[in-house]
Amino acid sequence: MKQGWRLWAMIWIGLILGLGFSACKKKNSETGKRVIVLGIDGMDLRLLKQLLAEGTMPHFQRLIQEGGFRPLGTSIPPESPVAWSNFITGMNPGRHGIYDFIHRDPQKKLDLYLSTSRTVDPPESKSFTLGDYVIWLAGGKVELLRDQRPFWDYLAERGIPVTVYKIPAEFPPEAGKARVFSGMGTPDILGTYGTFSYYTDNPPANAKEVSGGDVYPTFPKNGVAEMVLHGPKNTFKLDPKKPYLRSGRGKQRNYAKAELKFRVYLDPENAAAKIEIGDAELVLNQGEWSGWVPIEFELVPRLLHLPGMVRFYLQEVRPDFKLYVSPINLDPLDPALPLSNPADYAEELGEAVGRFYTQGISEDNKARSHNILNDDEYWQQSQDVLAESWKLYHYHLDHFDRGLLFFYFSALDLGQHMFWRLHDPTSPAWDAEASARLGDPIRRLYFQMDEVLATALQRVDPNTTLIVMSDHGFAPFNRAFQLNSWLLDNGYLYLRDRSKRQETEYFDHVDWGRTRAYGLGINGLYLNLYGREWSGIFMPGAEKEELLRELKQKLEAVVDPATGEHPIKVVYRADQVYQGPHVEKVAPDLIMGYAYGWRASWETTLGEFPQGWFSDNKEAWSGDHCIAAEEVPGVLVTNRQIQAESPTLMDLGPSILKEFGIEPPEQMEGKPVF
Amino acid sequence: MFEPKIKISKELYARVKKFAELAGYSSVDEFVAHALEKEVKALEGSDSEEEIKKKLQGLGYIS
Repeated sequence: MKQGWRLWAMIWIGLILGLGFSACKKKNSETGKRVIVLGIDGMDLRLLKQLLAEGTMPHFQRLIQEGGFRPLGTSIPPESPVAWSNFITGMNPGRHGIYDFIHRDPQKKLDLYLSTSRTVDPPESKSFTLGDYVIWLAGGKVELLRDQRPFWDYLAERGIPVTVYKIPAEFPPEAGKARVFSGMGTPDILGTYGTFSYYTDNPPANAKEVSGGDVYPTFPKNGVAEMVLHGPKNTFKLDPKKPYLRSGRGKQRNYAKAELKFRVYLDPENAAAKIEIGDAELVLNQGEWSGWVPIEFELVPRLLHLPGMVRFYLQEVRPDFKLYVSPINLDPLDPALPLSNPADYAEELGEAVGRFYTQGISEDNKARSHNILNDDEYWQQSQDVLAESWKLYHYHLDHFDRGLLFFYFSALDLGQHMFWRLHDPTSPAWDAEASARLGDPIRRLYFQMDEVLATALQRVDPNTTLIVMSDHGFAPFNRAFQLNSWLLDNGYLYLRDRSKRQETEYFDHVDWGRTRAYGLGINGLYLNLYGREWSGIFMPGAEKEELLRELKQKLEAVVDPATGEHPIKVVYRADQVYQGPHVEKVAPDLIMGYAYGWRASWETTLGEFPQGWFSDNKEAWSGDHCIAAEEVPGVLVTNRQIQAESPTLMDLGPSILKEFGIEPPEQMEGKPVF
Repeated sequence: MFEPKIKISKELYARVKKFAELAGYSSVDEFVAHALEKEVKALEGSDSEEEIKKKLQGLGYIS
């Protein structure tokens, strides 16, 4: 009886609360201020205008007619981590400290890292060994390297609900009252931007050169293939075969690698296979993708497991065996590293829509670039990513009453990188056959973004400000400039042995004692300054000033004899385009603003020195945006009238604060645009 | 057991001795060992070169 009373009381309380909640919800949806921001990475001003002129983007057309449309000034350089950091903080790179995808610690020889986050391992002194096992007394951590508060903090601290989904350059997501899910910059379980695995009995000729993935020769016996999925190093276990790399004092531990054995049974009659991995069993037909399969690496038997998840693609059963396994993504239902703030936001999404790609750049462009996946397969995989985004988009819109909702779409950015060669017949990598078969994937993606906007427009009421924005535009990547070769040939950079020029990689034969300047990353040019660089050779001051002037002048004057073009439109000086405490310490001294159609060569970014300064880019990665900022503005389309003539990414945070009646803090450089 | 010895010029030794005292090291040996350790650490970096390459090369913008 008592039990029954309790049950009824709970039902009544639930109903009262539920009704109250519904009433409150209704009130908020009618009167609460709402701002929806659609972050469409890489939406290009030229292409959008062209499609608008054709009348093929009806929802963009409608929004522009009702509100405003402007080019949106991007960052210098227009690389996504830099651009999104400008957006997040309302400040320039001198203040937020992100200048490139790749940064270096100038005090250490070639200590390069991905710019937005870094893993800090605890010192080995905080651990002891027990046989092959290592017992840690302290944990490691992942740090977000971007400086300054995100603009949404100022909303959240005033009690305004904030949800920010898949924002780039925000891994790990910061603690605070906002709900934030990290986007680009979120690693896979190996700590990389994505490392796929490919198992085959017919390895491609380029297997050893494949980057962003590993090829494992695998020979099925009697219709069964035994394989190993390779995880990260297991810092809880030493490699039993060779526990130490160096012995004696200062001995260095050699950790075992986490591994997970799995097995594939090939169907003797049909083009199909059964995969057994951990507790999971699945059957795939040839040409079929699996859904997400949760996996676990055992780090310490029965005590400690590392969770992740993968997708399988059974590319071929016979005559060759070919199995692609996606990078091991962090599982939103059990993330091994923080994906969201609060932590249970990731789990909430996983439970609502099922597992989904969490790796920062989810489209497996590396597998396409190395011909592991063909165009059709890559298109399918990237459309799967978009389909997951759609589900999450609907979920967020359905649960959005008031406050700020930011939602990010990656499809257009990766699509333009990989499919410019099916869009533009002047591309050196133009593929007429694939173009005839697949059509123009870029146009299809723009049309899909128009549908995305259509869905948002259905949710707009008089209290809703809708902002569609992109971090940068796009351009063909037809020709490449060998910056480091140019520096070498012009006496700014030296090799210890010039005969080793062709085999130099990762700057390994550079004579740092004579080198005055070097190119690193996609747009950075650094001087070898005494007091800043580990091998600095000349003093800041007049000598530095003269070198900056000379390099800028000479580089802007370079002409490609094959085309008559200047590969470099402008060389920016960091001390003129950045302001803030990070400029002196980390920033490049000069930033290369390549001309439309150009970019840094593949070889120069990590210190190779091929002969010649110019080459055609024939890679699948055929579109890019890491050029002069003026050439690739983003777009700003909104249902509000835009007052500012030339808004930039830095202005959007302050504009959103103002929509909620909050004065932007003084340290923000951006100004409200409405 | 003999500790390894390293030859340096008299002039450098004199300078090192002066700065070792100024910086509060208990001996020239301690100062030299500390300076070399710092330099070697800078050259070693925190990750192995292969690990760094793998992390960077997963990025589509880099080959």
